[in-house]
Amino acid sequence: MVKEYNIVITGVGGQGILTAANLLGWAALKEGYKVRVGEVHGMSQRFGSVISYVRFGENVYGAMVPEGKADVIISFEPVEALRYINYLKEGGLVFTNSRPIQPVQVSMGLAKYPSHEEIKDIVEKNFNAKYLSFDAESLAKEAGNIITTNVVLIGALTSTPDFPLSSQTIKEVIKVSVPPKAVDLNIKAFELGLSKAKEML
Amino acid sequence: MAKVSNMVLLNKPGEKILLLGNHAIARGALEAGIALFAAYPGTPSSELTDTMAAVAKDAGVYMEYSTNEKVAFETALSAAWSGLRAMTAMKHVGLNVAADSFMSAVGMGVEGGFVIMVADDPSMWSSQNEQDTRVFGKFANVPVLEPCSVQEAKDLTKYGFEISEKYKHMVILRTTTRSSHMRGDVVLDKLPDEIVNKIRRVGKFEKDPKRFVDIPAHSRTFHPKILENIEKIREEFNNCPFNRIEGDGKVGIITSGLSYAYVKEAISWLGINNVKVLKLSTPYPVPFGLVEKFLEGLEKVLIVEELEPVVEEQIKLWAYDKGYTIPIYGKNIVPRTYEMDTKRAVKAISKFLNIDTPIDFNALEEKYKEISSMLPPRPPSLCPACPHRNSFFAINKATRKNAIFPSDIGCYTLGVLPPLSAVDTTVAMGGSIGIAHGLSVSLNGATNEEIYNKKEVIVATIGDSTFYHTGLPAIANAIYNRSNILVVIVDNEITAMTGDQPNPGTGDTPHGPGKRIPIEDVVKAMGADFVEVVNPYNIKKTTEVIKKALDVDGVSVVVSRQVCALHRVSQARKKKQKLPTFRVNPDKCTGCKVCVTTFGCPAIFWDSENNKAKIDPTMCWGCGSCAQICPFGAFELVKEAK
Repeated sequence: MVKEYNIVITGVGGQGILTAANLLGWAALKEGYKVRVGEVHGMSQRFGSVISYVRFGENVYGAMVPEGKADVIISFEPVEALRYINYLKEGGLVFTNSRPIQPVQVSMGLAKYPSHEEIKDIVEKNFNAKYLSFDAESLAKEAGNIITTNVVLIGALTSTPDFPLSSQTIKEVIKVSVPPKAVDLNIKAFELGLSKAKEML
Repeated sequence: MAKVSNMVLLNKPGEKILLLGNHAIARGALEAGIALFAAYPGTPSSELTDTMAAVAKDAGVYMEYSTNEKVAFETALSAAWSGLRAMTAMKHVGLNVAADSFMSAVGMGVEGGFVIMVADDPSMWSSQNEQDTRVFGKFANVPVLEPCSVQEAKDLTKYGFEISEKYKHMVILRTTTRSSHMRGDVVLDKLPDEIVNKIRRVGKFEKDPKRFVDIPAHSRTFHPKILENIEKIREEFNNCPFNRIEGDGKVGIITSGLSYAYVKEAISWLGINNVKVLKLSTPYPVPFGLVEKFLEGLEKVLIVEELEPVVEEQIKLWAYDKGYTIPIYGKNIVPRTYEMDTKRAVKAISKFLNIDTPIDFNALEEKYKEISSMLPPRPPSLCPACPHRNSFFAINKATRKNAIFPSDIGCYTLGVLPPLSAVDTTVAMGGSIGIAHGLSVSLNGATNEEIYNKKEVIVATIGDSTFYHTGLPAIANAIYNRSNILVVIVDNEITAMTGDQPNPGTGDTPHGPGKRIPIEDVVKAMGADFVEVVNPYNIKKTTEVIKKALDVDGVSVVVSRQVCALHRVSQARKKKQKLPTFRVNPDKCTGCKVCVTTFGCPAIFWDSENNKAKIDPTMCWGCGSCAQICPFGAFELVKEAK
């Protein structure tokens, strides 16, 4: 049992971030951990930048991951990983879906969207961290539905060597959480994310 | 991960499940045998209300979405007078709406336990101000309970009903965004038989005018009684099972509610164990007996609490009177604005103990400042296909932006952002119409006055639920006093911002159909000078009607009605309906940018390589508005709805 494990999940409101956080929270609970999940609701999530926290272990009391303490950041959108990079611990890990979603300000020409290389560079240099970007949405489509992008990313997270929860537990939680008809495609999405990340790590 | 309503109704004592703070409070209320629940939704309190709506029928509880917090408060209060356990829930600014009845009713007391759940929003994630309800509790002499975890949120709710009933005094359960929207492990207790067997309980009201009629002669007896009661409750809180002393040492930390969680983490992160902690779940009234015990042998004390120095002021005042001379630190070290977190607790405790922080936060902040300077902002925005965007677009077109735009509290407040920029003021629920009226008579005079001359155009926007909440008295005032304003009621047929709750405009209630009250009938009956209903998905027609309304002297009302896109899409997905989608025909797109610089749908982005607009098919919900606003007809339907 780990003393404390901290996950930050980020992206754009509406991408299924709360569901992903809740899934991981239940998996941790199933493995006997004390669990805290922190979420954003209401107007603050309408297509804006969103952050959720999943934490488990005996040292865990609050719902927010303390800055500089996240073991991993899972991002549904590249620039959103950078927006919350202050949570990442030195030598941490970032998984991101590679497709950018342009904020309206960028479309209007009022702001610039950083390049893929710039984002990768900042993460690696400033935090001595591993940055893994991949097209999670294509894998989700391959599994059968783009809605399963969050499960692809959870699969990727599960493949990291020191991740404390077993893929078996997560699969069990997925099975009881999604509608019966969607179980197979979610499990497939999970497996695809898992093997893709293994390949990259 | 069962459905929330099933989890909250699970009658398996000892079972451990993962619950949201607000869900846990609902569970606590059920475990306490609540009989009536009434509330108006407000983030971050809404999930408690929604959960009660979902389980009410199966738990024998009467539940309603009231039109505002004052009405909800009065509904629950009278149940508590009738011997039932009752609850209302609101966000911090909701208590301001309920305040009139709340302040006066304290002295009347209750028969059944009455718990008022108030959810504060430190850091204002979804609110117009940052106010500390604990101060309100102290002002009104109503005890405040504050949980430190999801488990405690449930247990403290139950305790709140017990205390309220024992002392016949209403009780506030104060949460924050973080405690309401935190998930944590919770061990369930037994549900009472009435709840399990769905028995709807009926109260009995004993007439007692000396108690329930607050004419001066009667209410003069209230205040001393209230103060006496508070001192009794202060004594009780010395033995409150949720207040306790932990650890040992010569220095002490007093902390309340969720700040306890951050203090615990900070102490562990800093690796210190020679510190004594007083954990309080009752920030008002502070139990001085317990504080006295805690202070024994201490050399200095730090009080860590979020927002206002509520605990600090009580303890310092008492300590001065008692002749204590040990230093008590508080808001001179701990920030008074915004949300508490572990970093803030670590910083404050390090300063208090004169030690280093475990990581160099200042260096991290510097580094982050540099990184964030190159990030494009991503504020929340109106959803793709949101009818409000069209309403604002039509208002902008009809007025050529040559108007003042008072607006209100709801999703449509996001109309403040570019490119729409069609919100000039928002103050509070229902405020748009009052502000519009004030501006109208200040700038132009009233239409029945000699000095009346139409200089400034004033267009107020207000949502359907907000209209019923506090828009009604405001529009009555504007019509009566001969204002010259246009009120566009952006009716998306649901209370969208807080999660799709019904309201009088929908006519639905959690327990079947209620009675629908059409907005246009109400304003016509009140005597509005112009009333018309439009569908904002037809932009041209909407613009025309708005222009027509602007030509009428007096109070004009345009009801811009189209169901919330988010709600429509989720209903369609449930029914497995396929939504239509649009795309940009690159041959027709001239790169004029009208779509991104005046309309701003998040599904439309700019392809800077080809200098053309593009639609993200995963975000397009097929409203077809883009096709109406493009001067070159570049947006085309790709897929019909099925």
